[in-house]
Amino acid sequence: MFFHIVLERNMQLHPRHFGRNLRENLVSKLMKDVEGTCSGRHGFVVAITGIENVGKGLIRDGTGFVTFPVKYQCVVFRPFKGEVLEAVVTMVNKMGFFAEAGPVQIFVSNHLIPDDMEFQSGDMPNYTTSDGSIQKDSEVRLKIIGTRVDATEFCIGTIKDDFLGVINDPTTA
Amino acid sequence: MSLVTDSPVHSSSSDDFAALLDAELEVGSSGSSPDEEDVEADGDNNNDNNDDDDDDDDDLDSQRNKRCKTEKLEDLEESQGSTSQGLIEDKIVIHAELSLKKDICTHPGSFGQMCILCGQRLDDESGVTFGYIHKGLRLGNDEIVRLRSTDMKNLLRHKKLYLVLDLDHTLLNSTQLMHLTPDEEYLKGQSDSLQDVSRGSLFMLDFMHMMTKLRPFVRTFLKEASEMFEMYIYTMGDRPYALEMAKLLDPRREYFSDRVISRDDGTQKHQKGLDVVLGQESAVVILDDTENAWMKHKDNLILMERYHYFASSCHQFGYKCKSLSQLKSDESEPDGALASVLKALRQIHHMFFDELDCNLASRDVRQVLKTVREEVLKGCKIVFSHVFPTNFPAESHPLWKMAEQLGATCSTETDLSVTHVVSTDAGTEKSRWAVKEKKFLVHPRWIEATNYLWQKQPEENFPVSQGKNQ
Repeated sequence: MFFHIVLERNMQLHPRHFGRNLRENLVSKLMKDVEGTCSGRHGFVVAITGIENVGKGLIRDGTGFVTFPVKYQCVVFRPFKGEVLEAVVTMVNKMGFFAEAGPVQIFVSNHLIPDDMEFQSGDMPNYTTSDGSIQKDSEVRLKIIGTRVDATEFCIGTIKDDFLGVINDPTTA
Repeated sequence: MSLVTDSPVHSSSSDDFAALLDAELEVGSSGSSPDEEDVEADGDNNNDNNDDDDDDDDDLDSQRNKRCKTEKLEDLEESQGSTSQGLIEDKIVIHAELSLKKDICTHPGSFGQMCILCGQRLDDESGVTFGYIHKGLRLGNDEIVRLRSTDMKNLLRHKKLYLVLDLDHTLLNSTQLMHLTPDEEYLKGQSDSLQDVSRGSLFMLDFMHMMTKLRPFVRTFLKEASEMFEMYIYTMGDRPYALEMAKLLDPRREYFSDRVISRDDGTQKHQKGLDVVLGQESAVVILDDTENAWMKHKDNLILMERYHYFASSCHQFGYKCKSLSQLKSDESEPDGALASVLKALRQIHHMFFDELDCNLASRDVRQVLKTVREEVLKGCKIVFSHVFPTNFPAESHPLWKMAEQLGATCSTETDLSVTHVVSTDAGTEKSRWAVKEKKFLVHPRWIEATNYLWQKQPEENFPVSQGKNQ
């Protein structure tokens, strides 16, 4: 699920960046450091939408670095257990299929694929039923049944419940 | 509820109710007062038995806790005493069902350390890692067995077996750019484009500092073999190398897809194993140039003649002759090792599916391999001369065993039924006997060539020279 939250971070800035462009430098350094990272608590930081507040800078003893506490707004993505979301299939094999929902990799094992879906190997392996087939690049709606508390990169999903399964079959366009 | 925190059962929120019921049931069955007495009696016994001072204190504390807990349980029981016995029984039944459902998850495997069936965090190290399929994937042994048998049924329906292919010296030959000799420098100008890989055979991979030459006939081999086998690459190179070679051999990802196993995926150092291959051992054929890498699966192995294109490869194995690149020549395409092996594979496939008459599931490709091999030198009786070191038990020599595997009978004494004398010196007694009796006199390399090419080689191509003592 996506959230728009306010986070705070202490940014250290080298004196070479001081001057007229101090604020721009600070903001670009923040973006470089934070966008694309992932924490267990908030999930993936997708993008910074704005700077709320830059506090007073404190010069550190011993070095010339200055620490600024920065409050910024950002969009984060964090998967939750029980959440239903749409993902794009990246790989299909006899164990199940792997799908991607943004930065998160989800694995749906064939134990959690309905029994009427049969695996068919070949140069385009897929799981097929009369309603449609799941193959690379098809879109599926799945439910997350397991995430990790510390790192959210991997999740376990299922399509064995009602209203889950393939949304868009790339072969029938 | 303080009751829960005292519970000995490790609790997550759903376990609390179960623990509560457990505790309740234990107390309820023995009655309230006897329990209290029991606890106190235990406490006394403990105090008597432990003479150490520190233990005494601990015991007293734990006894106090026990007593408190028992009292609290009694309170609870009394308050619930008003509810009907039937309701408690209902709760017991629900509890039993819940715990049964939870216990049922056998954790068949894990992805990112979470069970793929129930999502629970798993930290155990059992099972086999399948990192080559996807990073973070691990499967338990039961699940691997289950997958192997379902996949087997699938493959047999499509009339396919499994083929595990080695890369170096089997399908191709690679060398580091810095090991190229001066007379190989011309190759740098002759390398094929990396844009359209399907036509080329010599590739320069600057970013890996190496040059690779594909073995002649390899593309036809892969195309024809893919119709009879589901193929795997298994190399002792590292993963980036394995994936790069797979791209050269299979640019459209139609032969191997994700089935590329490197040394990073093996479970044992310096050994290859079929534990990371998701196929039944009775249906796997292995093609490799190194026998020692497959100690546990020698029966599935077809040994390939090594492909030495680059000088560094000859040098690595101690051959002082000029390599194919230095001689500006190459292995013959229609008669080379890959073509012969393809013929043998076709024979094996045909025999497995069309000639064996027992039920499909009990067929074993290892048996077929043995049978096909034994046809090659059927009817030959071989005597060895000047080949084994003195006092060496002849039957354990690799050449003797190789000849027997190929269907020949071996003997240590000459007699009229002997058909071939294998010798390194034409002047020995047995060699002269062979010439006199018009039997075939051949060099040991005749046996090796026959083994690699799966066909009895013409004996006149392997003459024996006179030794120095003659």
